[in-house]
Amino acid sequence: MMTRIFWNDYVVPFRPGETIAAALGRAGIINLGPAGGPARGRVFCGIGACQACVVAIEGGAPVEACLTLARDGLRIGSMPAVVVSDE
Amino acid sequence: MARPSSMHVAVVGAGIVGAAAAHFLAAAGARVTVLDASGPAAGATGASDGAVSVASKRPGPMMELARHARAFYGQLETEGLFTGLFHRRSTFLIAQNALEAELVSQHGADLALAGERVIEVARADLVQRIPGLGDGVTAALEIPDDGHALGYQITARLLQRSDIDVRRRAPVSEIMVRDGRAVGVALTDEILSADAVLVAAGIGSAHLLNLGDILIPRKGQMIVTDRASTGRPAIDGHLMAASYLAAKRGIALDRSHIGLVIDPLVTGQFLLGGSREDNRSDHRTDAVTVSAILRAALELYPPLGARRVVRTFAGVRTASRDGLPIIGRHPHVEGLVIATGFEGDGICLGPFMGESAARMILDRPPAADLSMLTPTRFARGGSSA
Amino acid sequence: MSDAPILVVGGGPAGTSAAATLAEAGLPVLLVEQRDQLGGAIHRQVARGATHAVHAPARHRRNWAELAQRVDAAGSRIELCTGTVFLGVDGDGRHLLDDRESGRVVARSVRAAVIAVGAVEKIHPFEGWDLPGVMTAGGAQVLLKETGVPPTGPILVAGTGPLLLAVSAQLAKAGNPPVAVLERGRPWVRFNSLLRMAWAGPQLGEAASYVATLLSHRVPYRTGADILSVREDDVGLEIRVRRNGTVHRLRARHMLVHDGIEPNRVGIPLSDPGGAVPVVLAGDGREVLGADAAILDGRRAAREILARLGMRLPEPGEARLTAARNVQAALSDLFRSALPEPTPETLICRCEARRLSDFRSLPDDASTREIRLMGRFGMGVCQGRFCGPTIAALRGEAVPSAIPPRWPLRPVSLAALADLKTDDLES
Ligand SMILES: Cc1cc2nc3c(=O)[nH]c(=O)nc-3n(C[C@H](O)[C@H](O)[C@H](O)COP(=O)(O)OP(=O)(O)OC[C@H]3O[C@@H](n4cnc5c(N)ncnc54)[C@H](O)[C@@H]3O)c2cc1C
Ligand SMILES: Cc1cc2nc3c(=O)[nH]c(=O)nc-3n(C[C@H](O)[C@H](O)[C@H](O)COP(=O)(O)OP(=O)(O)OC[C@H]3O[C@@H](n4cnc5c(N)ncnc54)[C@H](O)[C@@H]3O)c2cc1C
Ligand code: FES
Repeated sequence: MMTRIFWNDYVVPFRPGETIAAALGRAGIINLGPAGGPARGRVFCGIGACQACVVAIEGGAPVEACLTLARDGLRIGSMPAVVVSDE
Repeated sequence: MARPSSMHVAVVGAGIVGAAAAHFLAAAGARVTVLDASGPAAGATGASDGAVSVASKRPGPMMELARHARAFYGQLETEGLFTGLFHRRSTFLIAQNALEAELVSQHGADLALAGERVIEVARADLVQRIPGLGDGVTAALEIPDDGHALGYQITARLLQRSDIDVRRRAPVSEIMVRDGRAVGVALTDEILSADAVLVAAGIGSAHLLNLGDILIPRKGQMIVTDRASTGRPAIDGHLMAASYLAAKRGIALDRSHIGLVIDPLVTGQFLLGGSREDNRSDHRTDAVTVSAILRAALELYPPLGARRVVRTFAGVRTASRDGLPIIGRHPHVEGLVIATGFEGDGICLGPFMGESAARMILDRPPAADLSMLTPTRFARGGSSA
Repeated sequence: MSDAPILVVGGGPAGTSAAATLAEAGLPVLLVEQRDQLGGAIHRQVARGATHAVHAPARHRRNWAELAQRVDAAGSRIELCTGTVFLGVDGDGRHLLDDRESGRVVARSVRAAVIAVGAVEKIHPFEGWDLPGVMTAGGAQVLLKETGVPPTGPILVAGTGPLLLAVSAQLAKAGNPPVAVLERGRPWVRFNSLLRMAWAGPQLGEAASYVATLLSHRVPYRTGADILSVREDDVGLEIRVRRNGTVHRLRARHMLVHDGIEPNRVGIPLSDPGGAVPVVLAGDGREVLGADAAILDGRRAAREILARLGMRLPEPGEARLTAARNVQAALSDLFRSALPEPTPETLICRCEARRLSDFRSLPDDASTREIRLMGRFGMGVCQGRFCGPTIAALRGEAVPSAIPPRWPLRPVSLAALADLKTDDLES
């Protein structure tokens, strides 16, 4: 069985039972956001509280990388970066 | 009446209406104290959407007033007071079946008659502008001159940009009246004397002025999503379903108490609303109502399926028995002006109504005819006001 | 109603202990855990396919084996829902569960609820804490437990408290010792507290073994160190540290920060043991007393529910909870230190990109509403779990954002909530 997910355009292998966060971390992917935004995604608290690891997911609502198990063929990507509101 | 410069006005309520009145009173030279039981925007103003919209108004005086009020936003934007806070954008009135199409087209005719620009948009064009729109959308009208402002930001700006004493955590328990004149307000452990009093306390006005049988609380539940885009609205316009128009025009399309709007905020988030629940003044939200709003929203705009809900909240609109706002002098007490009952329109109407209330306090005529909104209309009917 | 289950939220030591105790008393239990496995923060289980594992101290392994065995023994009396996030209680009293597997939110009628969602780490903000590469020490630790492998590249550990030692030792054992551990406090100086710790028993032994590991890996442990800022460049992070009045620059690929933990209370229903549906909090989500006490506290919570239902259970654990409280108090005294004032540019709220200067520009007497609406603090996706403690420290009083409890207490898929399934009659 092939076990890999797609992070933006990268192929990231994972081990069964592993979260998306663990797989990305082992692949050395630390920055989960589009570069240049004032606050970029990253795995931070590891327990679903900080919401900084949230990734966009194909065909559904975004999920916390640290809570969600990697599934074979899953396509994920960075969220829209957070910016200061217009004031 | 006294010249503004020697006058002290107590404004009860730091919602958008009270803040606007206070701002313009201070600008005219009066000394102003704003008292709020909690703080600025603690009531409906801080728990609402911010459609500055003529498109949504009932034909008749409300549509007329909304046009004045929206123009006032534009003026204050240009003059600098509302810079960065008022955003122009289109409202799309959307029909999802033949019955709704009829209602939308009727409403469009009423808007055009009031002088509003109304553009018919074919489904194909609409889908091009708002990709992903639901299959059920059959017809739409674009009202291109509407806008949006967040009530709490407007309130804060109005209070910042003038010399006003804002007193937080200062609930007013009573309006002090001597010899038929308002002479101040009673706070928890103090009487604050004033030459005139404005009650702009939203639903709190009912208790203060004994208007319990005239003012009706109407709860609205709303939903905020995460960001679909960065630093700009995710779609190019405010989507207003026919169900919302129906609710506003007092027509029952079905038994639900939901009038759907999908509002793209400048943060890139969506604000989805809302319910209209009469005689509910609590701030609870419930999953059954919220999920019903979400289902309607998904049907109209399926791309919401890629979003998360980050928050739900409820606000309490203050409706009057006859559906019109109440603004004007108290029928029996001199130096007391009332401004409440703005229901679901007070963000749009607020700055204009506040400015009008300020004029009434200063014995000057408002910029539009507001005689049909006078509190006296209920006194005539023999009520306690 | 009496056949409705008791809801237990959280599969850490507190929740599992409560669930097992209730089930052993004969009651049906609905045990809800957001992860795919029970364990909680301390007993985070290794992923099925992992090739390495981190060895926990024997005491913890024993404790968990016993809890897991009790859950097993309860069999069908415990309905276990993993991959399910508790979203809070709605305005009509529905207990809402986000079942991630089926993609829908379910409202369940329950007879009572024990909420044991654990703690969140506190982070005292500094410029750059929001950068990729900066992570909480506990977060790095649970990931290490999950995968068995440490992050690659130089790691710096900073902040305060005993967890810094534990994480650093575990990283060292797993093959990547930190370049340094920077402790803000000066625990060696506080001899009195150290003496009071002497009877902390197992915890002290655990700490000693961590220190020994760090010594043998020659990991420098520096006290009295304040983090000033972190910058990033092509190769990693540059960290500015002040110690004894001198500013040092250090480099690392990963920076792990931690300033203690506090109960995760945002949106959590208020404790209401006397309510129509009694609600009792348990474990570190009620009061931070640590892993051993969490087991006792889960049992205590179960007893409280049972008493409410007219059932008695012997063995009050109060004395041992009090002992745990004393240990925590001594620990926090041991590591007590003054927090450096963040610069005006420092992000306070990462979610909404709000800085200290934004907070300072609010009126001094700003209401909670104003802090939220105008400041945007607490309005982001973490719902104030990280900026909340910072704002409370800056204001000198807690922001009462948790009252009334809000739902959803975590962001939830819009489609899943639209697809709400209720087991009540109305819809
Ligand atoms: C869900 C929802 C959505 C809405 N969407 C829109 C929209 O899109 N567009 C639009 O134009 N309008 C909208 N509205 C309506 C709008 O929010 C209100 O009409 C408007 O905010 C009313 O402002 P106000 O100043 O009259 O009252 P409020 O904002 O309610 O202010 C009253 C203030 O008085 C204070 N107060 C009350 N009693 C006392 C007392 N005894 N002593 C001292 N202070 C007191 C309160 O604390 C409060 O701050 C919406 C409303 C809701 C609930
Ligand atoms: C990241 C982290 C690492 C820690 N590491 C250690 C350590 O190594 N040694 C130590 O002694 N102490 C550690 N602690 C302290 C720890 O909190 C306690 O020692 C102990 O785990 C507390 O047990 P508990 O059952 O109260 O909470 P937890 O063990 O935290 O268990 C709470 C459980 O609830 C689940 N949960 C949370 N919210 C929801 C929700 N909304 N819906 C469904 N499920 C939910 C969580 O996934 C978790 O499984 C750590 C704390 C944190 C935050
Ligand atoms: S790392 Fe904090 S929510 Fe995933």
